[in-house]
Amino acid sequence: MTFQLALSAADLLLLLPEIFLTLWLCLILSLDFSLKRMTHQQLAYLSIAGLAVTGLILLGFDQAGTTGALFKNMFVLDRMAIFFKLMIVGATTLVLFMSIDYVQDFRFFRGEYYVMVVMSALGMMFMASSNDLLSVFVTLEFSTFGFYVLVAYLRDDQRSSEAGLKFFILGVFAAGLLAYGISLVYGETGTLIFSEMTGTSGSYGLAIGYILIFAALGFKIGAVPFHAWIPDTYQGAPTPVTAFLSIAPKAAALAILIRMFYVSLASFKPMWVLLFVVASIFSMTYGNIVAIAQKNIKRLLAYSGIAQIGNIMIGLAAGTKQGSDAIMFFLLTYLFANLGAFAVIIAVSRVLKSDEIEDYNGLNRRSPFLAAAMLLFLLSLAGVPPLAGFIGKIYLFIAAMKEELYTLLIVGLINIVISMYYYLIVVKKMYINEPTDSSPIPASMPIKVAVYVGIAGTVLLGVYPGPFIDWAVSATLMFSNIAGPTAAASLLPGG
Amino acid sequence: MGEYSLLIILFAPFFGAIALMFVPRQEAILVRMTAAISAGISLLASFYIFLAYDTTKGGFQFVQRYVWSEELGIAFYLGVDGIGGPLVFASAILLFAGIFVSWHIKDRTKEFYMFLLILAAATIGVFMSLDLFFLYFFYEMSVLPMYLLLGVWGSHTKGYLSMTDPEERKLRDSIGFIFNFGSNSKEYAAMKLTLFLSAGAVVALMGILLIYHLSGLHTFDIVVLREQAHFSDNVATLIWFLIFFGFASIAPIWPLHSWSPVGHAAAPAATSMLHAGVLMKLGHFSIIRVAFEILPDSTREWMWVAAVLCIFSIIYGGLVSYFAKDTKYVIGYSSSSHMGYIFLGMAALSYISLSGAVIYMFAHALATSMLFAMAGWVYDQTHSRDIPSLGGLVEKMPFIAGAFIVGCMASIGMPGTINFIAEIMIIVGSWDKYPFQVVVAVLGIVLTLAYMFKMMRGLFYGKLDPEHAHATDARHWVDRMPLLLLIVCSITLGIFPGHFYEVVRSTVEPMIDRINHVTPLITQNTQGLLP
Repeated sequence: MTFQLALSAADLLLLLPEIFLTLWLCLILSLDFSLKRMTHQQLAYLSIAGLAVTGLILLGFDQAGTTGALFKNMFVLDRMAIFFKLMIVGATTLVLFMSIDYVQDFRFFRGEYYVMVVMSALGMMFMASSNDLLSVFVTLEFSTFGFYVLVAYLRDDQRSSEAGLKFFILGVFAAGLLAYGISLVYGETGTLIFSEMTGTSGSYGLAIGYILIFAALGFKIGAVPFHAWIPDTYQGAPTPVTAFLSIAPKAAALAILIRMFYVSLASFKPMWVLLFVVASIFSMTYGNIVAIAQKNIKRLLAYSGIAQIGNIMIGLAAGTKQGSDAIMFFLLTYLFANLGAFAVIIAVSRVLKSDEIEDYNGLNRRSPFLAAAMLLFLLSLAGVPPLAGFIGKIYLFIAAMKEELYTLLIVGLINIVISMYYYLIVVKKMYINEPTDSSPIPASMPIKVAVYVGIAGTVLLGVYPGPFIDWAVSATLMFSNIAGPTAAASLLPGG
Repeated sequence: MGEYSLLIILFAPFFGAIALMFVPRQEAILVRMTAAISAGISLLASFYIFLAYDTTKGGFQFVQRYVWSEELGIAFYLGVDGIGGPLVFASAILLFAGIFVSWHIKDRTKEFYMFLLILAAATIGVFMSLDLFFLYFFYEMSVLPMYLLLGVWGSHTKGYLSMTDPEERKLRDSIGFIFNFGSNSKEYAAMKLTLFLSAGAVVALMGILLIYHLSGLHTFDIVVLREQAHFSDNVATLIWFLIFFGFASIAPIWPLHSWSPVGHAAAPAATSMLHAGVLMKLGHFSIIRVAFEILPDSTREWMWVAAVLCIFSIIYGGLVSYFAKDTKYVIGYSSSSHMGYIFLGMAALSYISLSGAVIYMFAHALATSMLFAMAGWVYDQTHSRDIPSLGGLVEKMPFIAGAFIVGCMASIGMPGTINFIAEIMIIVGSWDKYPFQVVVAVLGIVLTLAYMFKMMRGLFYGKLDPEHAHATDARHWVDRMPLLLLIVCSITLGIFPGHFYEVVRSTVEPMIDRINHVTPLITQNTQGLLP
């Protein structure tokens, strides 16, 4: 097979955000090395500026309706890819704002931190566009590479090193599974591109291959039973990295999951619906129940994140266009609430040097602003109106209801009540308990920016979600003719 | 301006809460005035809709509709009928009164008023939502502020079991005892209330989603659903039970009531007032709005369930009230007991009884909130809610004692108060269908008389404990005004119920017609019902 790389200027335009960010990355790296006078704050704001320009280019694409495919369909830029890329760029920007204070406490490698973050973001932007199993593998590893470094960034801290090691070993294992799955699928179908696999007939090799790929992506999003790395890694990693890890890779991996299952496996829908129903039920229930016992706020959010992924998989289980719209909208709500919550955690832990939930006692007296913000974020995660999380959950439930997935719905609804309990425990500590030390907790300007953006997003998406829902709906128009549950075909021969 | 009154009523408290964010917390007077003004605007506008409701036209009035999400079939759709209108009015009265009752709160005043305003606005939102999604939206939104109001500004209950278990009598809160892990703290009460109500809400949400999907209409619009939604019998029954028990948990019907007295006891006075006054009516109201409107056939078939359960509510709540020694427990359980009357009125499905039930919701809101406000005053003055240790307070607080007597009389249903009219209508209207329950209800009234008098005597007469010698009366207009407002409303409407009755009748009559007719429902008297 000859591979002709004939790129016109118009083709390169599709890659403009990535190309720009790559060049910007080189610029930051060389500035960091060459200009010793440059403070890390300046580098941070320079990275934010680069991300902002990338975001503007993407918004321009969205407005202009620029779409297309490159490299024999390995790279697609459709509106869904733009949606996910914007989400990743937005999340990265917020994470950089939260990092500025945190990086101040590093003794070395301050500048490289920003380079690593932006590089991971770049990898994830490619993930959102990958339309072929090979590019899935390459981009996934590209983005994870940055995280391996970032998680273990506090190299004098035992927990961070432990977290990095766990993340690395399990991550590499997942990469192995992914490669093996891809090879099996390629052996059965003879192609790597999603859209060319639609007509294949079922076989054991294909089924095993896809289950392996699902396991690898399940590891990325932290779905039960591939969640084992999450709590320790979340707890040990530097908090801004945890925040980053809790949203951006999940969004990118979900983009791949949606593409893969909706396009290449459309004819086997009844089979993978079952897979997602089971994974969703276990993730929600396990995450929520174990979260109750947590004493550390980062671990609490880790388990709540597992539960939220369970919620998101309700949309995948629905397997309809509305399901994917709901996932995208839910991810937006989750982005603001979760990043906001981590921003508050960073502000608090900078003063208290601790992430224990006990230390949040009387936060309302020590910093009414941070306590009120945390209240909003936790209630949004719990799904309380009028906050964004509520609309996100209802959207997912409606999608599932239209597919009549009653068991999943009942479990999901029960889980809302369970999750309310542990979020309220934190609220109780903040508002009801009295502080042991009532000195005020200040929040620096960059943290405040992140918190304000989080509040604005959480409230706006809650009370006025219409335009955002419409955006998600119009971003996935290509799924509007996805096969219904009646189009039964078995992934296994003769089954 | 008239057609926007619902928006004004709903958003005045919300904007009040937002404005409070920007008021510096040292300026306590400014904080209170902001809250009072926003509640006052809401009160005036709700008084206007109560008066201006066109009783000859009936149906949903003051309608506002804005498409919220085309994709999901959700519209921000507001409107009141003869049931929602009075309840909106009641909520606004209680919010306004509640702000003055809690005038002396010192701890984190700003946050207190913010949560109180959000709570009241959310309840008002439920009463005027014509979209199932927003009904649920506001319903769930009203639960969460309760957690903080109880948890932060509430008070611990001392010896929960000893108060309901005098002289080794094994009279205990059945379900409450099972779930009460020996904790009497306000945190426990708040968490129990929140989880209980959220669980109920989630059950109702399942019902709402089933209505949304199985009607095949994929809309949350109540007006469309009531005209066009049809379900097969089994499905309708299932949905009816989900809706009924989901919403009845907040009402609260026996055996789902145990969160309520614990919550009442822990809550600060203004929260108890809103809680007992209007929050519990969200349950009855939502059952009427969803089950009665959308599932009339199942309602006719299954509403006897409520008639059976209300017996337990009335007798059980009354007995516990009689033996309880904590003022707020007495009032809390009496509320639980009186909710049984509303269920009886709803279950009988006659036009008089349902009208009675609706009027009773309003009447009970006024009467109970008076009692809670005064129990709160007594607690603030004496730091005690234990009836045996109190007594003789009439010397120290003659105004409160006088108002308390009026509150008790209203609660019992003395002629002259609006409660009397409501009770008579429920009893007369239900007699044909449920004579046994009516006998129980009358016994319940006797029981109410007994425990109210017992409480009154225990608090205000007898010997004054010297420990409470420093207790003072409500002297300032700020303290007297809310009580007078409630008393005046209760008695004025009790003497001149004409307009109120017409308002309720204009909605209840076609609704009952619709439920009791087995013939196709679409042709039935729909002209007046559509906006």
